[in-house]
Amino acid sequence: MRIRGLLVVFILFLLWTAGGCGGQPGRGGGDDAPEAKKVLINGAGASFPNPLYSRWIAEYCKLNKNVRINYQSIGSGAGIQQFSQKVIDFGGTDAPMPDDQLARAPGEVLHIPTVMGAVAVTYNIPEVKGKIKLSPDVLADIYQGRIAKWNDRRLEELNTEVKLPDRSILVVHRSDGSGTTNIFTDYLSSVSPEWRQKVGQGTAVDWPVGVGGKGNEGVSRQVQATEGSIGYVELAYALLNRLPFALLKNSSGQFVEPSVEGTIFAAAGAASNMPDDLRVSIVNAPGHKAYPIAGYTYILVYKEQGDPDKGRELARFLWWAIHEGDQMANDLHYAPLPGEVQKKVEEKLKSIHFKGKSLL
Amino acid sequence: MKILENHRLIWSRLMVGFCGLSTLLISGLLLLVLGYITLHGLPGANLNFFTRLPAPVGMEGGGLAQAVAGSFILIGLACLIGIPWGIGAGIFLSEVGKDSWWGEGVRFAVDVLSGVPSIITGIFVYSILVVKLQSFSALAGGVALGIIMVPLVARNTEGILQLVPQGLREAALALGLPFWKVILKIILPTAARGIGIGVTLAVAGVAGETAPLFFTSLSNNYWSLGLLEPIASLPMEIFRYATAPFAAWHELAWTGALVLITIVVSGMLLARILLPGYNFRR
Repeated sequence: MRIRGLLVVFILFLLWTAGGCGGQPGRGGGDDAPEAKKVLINGAGASFPNPLYSRWIAEYCKLNKNVRINYQSIGSGAGIQQFSQKVIDFGGTDAPMPDDQLARAPGEVLHIPTVMGAVAVTYNIPEVKGKIKLSPDVLADIYQGRIAKWNDRRLEELNTEVKLPDRSILVVHRSDGSGTTNIFTDYLSSVSPEWRQKVGQGTAVDWPVGVGGKGNEGVSRQVQATEGSIGYVELAYALLNRLPFALLKNSSGQFVEPSVEGTIFAAAGAASNMPDDLRVSIVNAPGHKAYPIAGYTYILVYKEQGDPDKGRELARFLWWAIHEGDQMANDLHYAPLPGEVQKKVEEKLKSIHFKGKSLL
Repeated sequence: MKILENHRLIWSRLMVGFCGLSTLLISGLLLLVLGYITLHGLPGANLNFFTRLPAPVGMEGGGLAQAVAGSFILIGLACLIGIPWGIGAGIFLSEVGKDSWWGEGVRFAVDVLSGVPSIITGIFVYSILVVKLQSFSALAGGVALGIIMVPLVARNTEGILQLVPQGLREAALALGLPFWKVILKIILPTAARGIGIGVTLAVAGVAGETAPLFFTSLSNNYWSLGLLEPIASLPMEIFRYATAPFAAWHELAWTGALVLITIVVSGMLLARILLPGYNFRR
């Protein structure tokens, strides 16, 4: 009969917790703002901005005690999928939703760019101390296996000041679906028609050559362990881990190194032709200082919110993030939005509504 | 003759040696796993781990209090669903529908169910509960784990009930007890210990499940005990923390693994100590 007693205790416990979650009168009611209702907002998706989002959320929730935002980094693809099924309140993705997915979504979807990231090309050539330079066509040919040696004539022409060794090139790419791969292949597709035709762009593609590594850490580990290898990682990761990276020739013919500034210039160059839905590719952007492999990361929200409290708090959080979150973004090597884009995002946030009433 | 006997003797010794070696290896493996996890997990097992919520990415400090609580709630929900259902099915298979075509069908269904990969169960619950309720929830996680438990508990219960001597049933029936009372008052108490230990094995099995939780309870960075909200769990957090590129997070993952294993092992030991009756398993 001991078991029956235990069972009763457990059921009582469950009832208590089930009842206790809704109200929490001790904390929600005592706040200064009378309309402040306690809400939990659930989001999931891209892992690339997760370090920044979790920092933002921690800061924001310190200021707004009635809000809890639960972001789970499960990958862009899963984020879009679950957002489309409305099982989460907002999604995170590095690749904008394609038209066919937007058409199938159960409501009008807003793409809210939050920050930008860049992709750095890293390498391991023990003989070379300085930075190597790469041009778009050379990079595309390396990733297609057409340039197989570091002392290839075309590489030597680009790098006259360093002595490149007679070493085979080992290409390293991501083995998992990733927003970083999406930006990288977006770039290769935009600079090489052949790449676009044969391989294309996506979070995971059919790589012509090379070996895979899981995540940024997998790729960088592979590159560090293999002499003669080349790989790509997101900029924040490369900077934090002090990986060597190549200078890339941008659309103005300048060699630029990956940096937060270079990313901001890329966004500024592309800002003027930003479409209304804010779904834009900023690879190979115009501008002398623009770094060519960069992209926005997005938060997906429905324009028509189903719950006014959640919708209002979500819109407020995003507003705060793109205005007050800049410094934190810089600290973590993400590029904040350029002013023009910020204005456009403000418009989008104001358009979030519940039953025809704007929530901001 | 002599040669033949020698040959047999050598063969016998060899086989005994092989059995001994296997025994050593399997207990050695258990010790190795436990020892390795303890070695890595113990340094992080401090008060913070059990009282704090996760810190933002890349920042120091923080714990997994919400995941420990979440795991208990998920396992509790799974038990509420899996134990009555599983034991009921086990009783049916052993006592009622033993030789009928219907019983055979149920037995086949249970066998197939126990072979279904847990991730499929997760996707099933995702489509019937998560999508319908428009939210990941502790409830969905508990249902998924409960469904995974049912075939394990059912087959084990059936096996244990089969071990209860036939004479007991006949004696009880001969005394005029109705059939349902025979089951409830005679057979089940006799087999309680074996059934209980089987249940703890099933609990241990689902306590470490990660794949179905991905689609059902997801995870939560906050202290949340609501059944209709996403809830954190140790396996999900271990997965998240172990695959992150930060050393401090890896330590949390190890500690999470240690806590999970401790919960499972102590549950099994408790069941062995507390449950009354004769253990037919041995």
